[in-house]
Amino acid sequence: MRPFLVRVLVPLLAVLLSAGCGLRPTGPADGGRAPTGVAPGVTLYFIGGDGELQPDFRDSGRLGTVSDAVSLLIAGPGPTSGLSTGIAAVSTTRVVVTTGPEVLTVLVPLAMDEVTPQGIDQIVCTALGVHVQSGGAEDTEVRVGFTTGGRESEELRTCPLIG
Amino acid sequence: MTGGLRRAGAWAHRLRPRGLRTRLLVAFVLVTVVGAAAAAWAAAGSAGTALVDGAQERLTGTVADRVAALAPELDYPPDEEGLDRLRAAVGPNTLVTYEDLRSADADAPGPGIGPVRDAVRERDRISVRRITDDGAPKLLIGMPVMLTDTDGARTPSGIEVYTVRDLSGVEGQIDVLTRSAVAASALALPLAVLLALLAARGVLRPVRDLRDTARRLADGDLGARTVPQGADELAALTATVNEMAASLQESMAQMERMRADARRFASDVSHELRTPLSTLTAVVDVLASAADRMEADDRESVELAVTETRRLVALVEELMEVSRFDAGSAALRLEEVDAAEAVRDCLRARGWTDRVAVEADGPVGLLADRRRLDVIVANLVGNALRHGAPPVRVRVAGDGDGGEGTGGGEVRIEVADEGPGLPEDVLPHVFDRFYKGDAARTRTPGSGLGLAIALENARLHGGDLVAENTEGGARFVLRLPRDPGGDRDGGHGVGHPGGHADGPGHGEEER
Repeated sequence: MRPFLVRVLVPLLAVLLSAGCGLRPTGPADGGRAPTGVAPGVTLYFIGGDGELQPDFRDSGRLGTVSDAVSLLIAGPGPTSGLSTGIAAVSTTRVVVTTGPEVLTVLVPLAMDEVTPQGIDQIVCTALGVHVQSGGAEDTEVRVGFTTGGRESEELRTCPLIG
Repeated sequence: MTGGLRRAGAWAHRLRPRGLRTRLLVAFVLVTVVGAAAAAWAAAGSAGTALVDGAQERLTGTVADRVAALAPELDYPPDEEGLDRLRAAVGPNTLVTYEDLRSADADAPGPGIGPVRDAVRERDRISVRRITDDGAPKLLIGMPVMLTDTDGARTPSGIEVYTVRDLSGVEGQIDVLTRSAVAASALALPLAVLLALLAARGVLRPVRDLRDTARRLADGDLGARTVPQGADELAALTATVNEMAASLQESMAQMERMRADARRFASDVSHELRTPLSTLTAVVDVLASAADRMEADDRESVELAVTETRRLVALVEELMEVSRFDAGSAALRLEEVDAAEAVRDCLRARGWTDRVAVEADGPVGLLADRRRLDVIVANLVGNALRHGAPPVRVRVAGDGDGGEGTGGGEVRIEVADEGPGLPEDVLPHVFDRFYKGDAARTRTPGSGLGLAIALENARLHGGDLVAENTEGGARFVLRLPRDPGGDRDGGHGVGHPGGHADGPGHGEEER
């Protein structure tokens, strides 16, 4: 009995005792994905001279929010850029964005007939781009809500350039 | 180290319990408590780990969320003021760096940040490290802030956030867990003792029963048995012991039967011989009285017949005496006897007075059976005269309070001769029945029962008779208690079959 006691039980007890005492320091361990969201500016999508969707980097010094970006998009490309837009000019550019799981809902101050299909892609790509840059998932889908409502406002869309 | 271990071993050896019950108890308690402790510690340990992991994840997640919430509002590349904003958002104990720029508060993590910074830069992921600061457990969290492209590609922005969070609360929770584990282990202790005692009782009771039975068997109670219980090894052992006892009892009974048969046979033979022998004796006596008128040859034959007939009668009488001893029916008739006088009477009656010297310091009184005392002395003296060499001396002495007829003390009667003594191989058998010391002289007048009867008579008195060799020859020492009734416990061998109760010694017991 004694050899068993000395050889097995004592080390076992010692290990158990040391295991129970407080929180011991550890080496560096992984803590998960790093946060993101800083950017030197925001990327908007307009239509280029060849009629294709084209990113337009605005050097705003920061990324800003999705609604800021979409508001900026509705405000238009400006006269000197050589880009065109599929969104009609409106007086108000107030945009409301709700971020849900897997779905980004963007409510724009536009009626359905004020936006071309390419204009819808512009909105989706701009919103999704900012969402991804602030750490969102790339396979997030975007629902664009129009003032006119209807079936188009319920549709889940993705950007042809992203994801 | 080795010496210490050896010392510990010696210590453990000294403490090693001897009793089966103690060993069972210790082993049981050790195993149970260690098991309970191991289970409790393991449970507490894993629960503690889960607690710590959860807390660390929560703390890290909170910091990362705060950084991520502010990041889109932050100018990039940041200036001093931007870093201060980020640090304020994260909370106290925070350091924010961007290339050469630094923003830190008073309790910001300083030294010890190195390994975390290395891990942060190497992996571009959050890195955590548990540290101890002023004895308190802390969590050091380091994270880079990433630049993400619109297509999801991530590159480090150069902004890094390091902050320290307190883990004392978690440690407190773990301490509570540990204390419960200790308490649970302690709870197992009395339970283990109880169980061990129960188990020990279950195992040890049959052992104790068996021991008691064995002891009773050893003490002569051949009827002792243990009822086997259950079907384990102990029950098998019990059954074996029972079988052994039964077989022993059977053997003893058989032997006793055979001995009883032999005694009865000797007794019956003696009785059967007595009647024809008395007739024969009468006839021989008539023949002897007519011998004077016979021819010399005839007279010799008649004298031989007379001698042999008397020997036969004496032998049969001694056989009957031995049978009475064996049957326990020998009666002791105690009376006041002066041992010295009894010895002289004995010698006088046999005509040995001039051949034997008697030494006695005055009268030596004792309570004895006069006839039996005479038989003993006659046997011893006759033996000495026949086998030893003169001078034969009889010494009578008493010790204790030697007053007339009083109890206590004993009387010694020594019969010594100056012959060659007893051979060493004869000495142990000298009191055996029909044992003759000199094989060549089987035709000597002795029956071979004389010394055996003398010893039985001595024991009947509660005394003893021993044979020994001195420098000058053989010596027989007879020791008799002065009062056989008053020294009952000191008696040897054959008991007192009620004989002394009707003797004169009865009144002496009051003293």
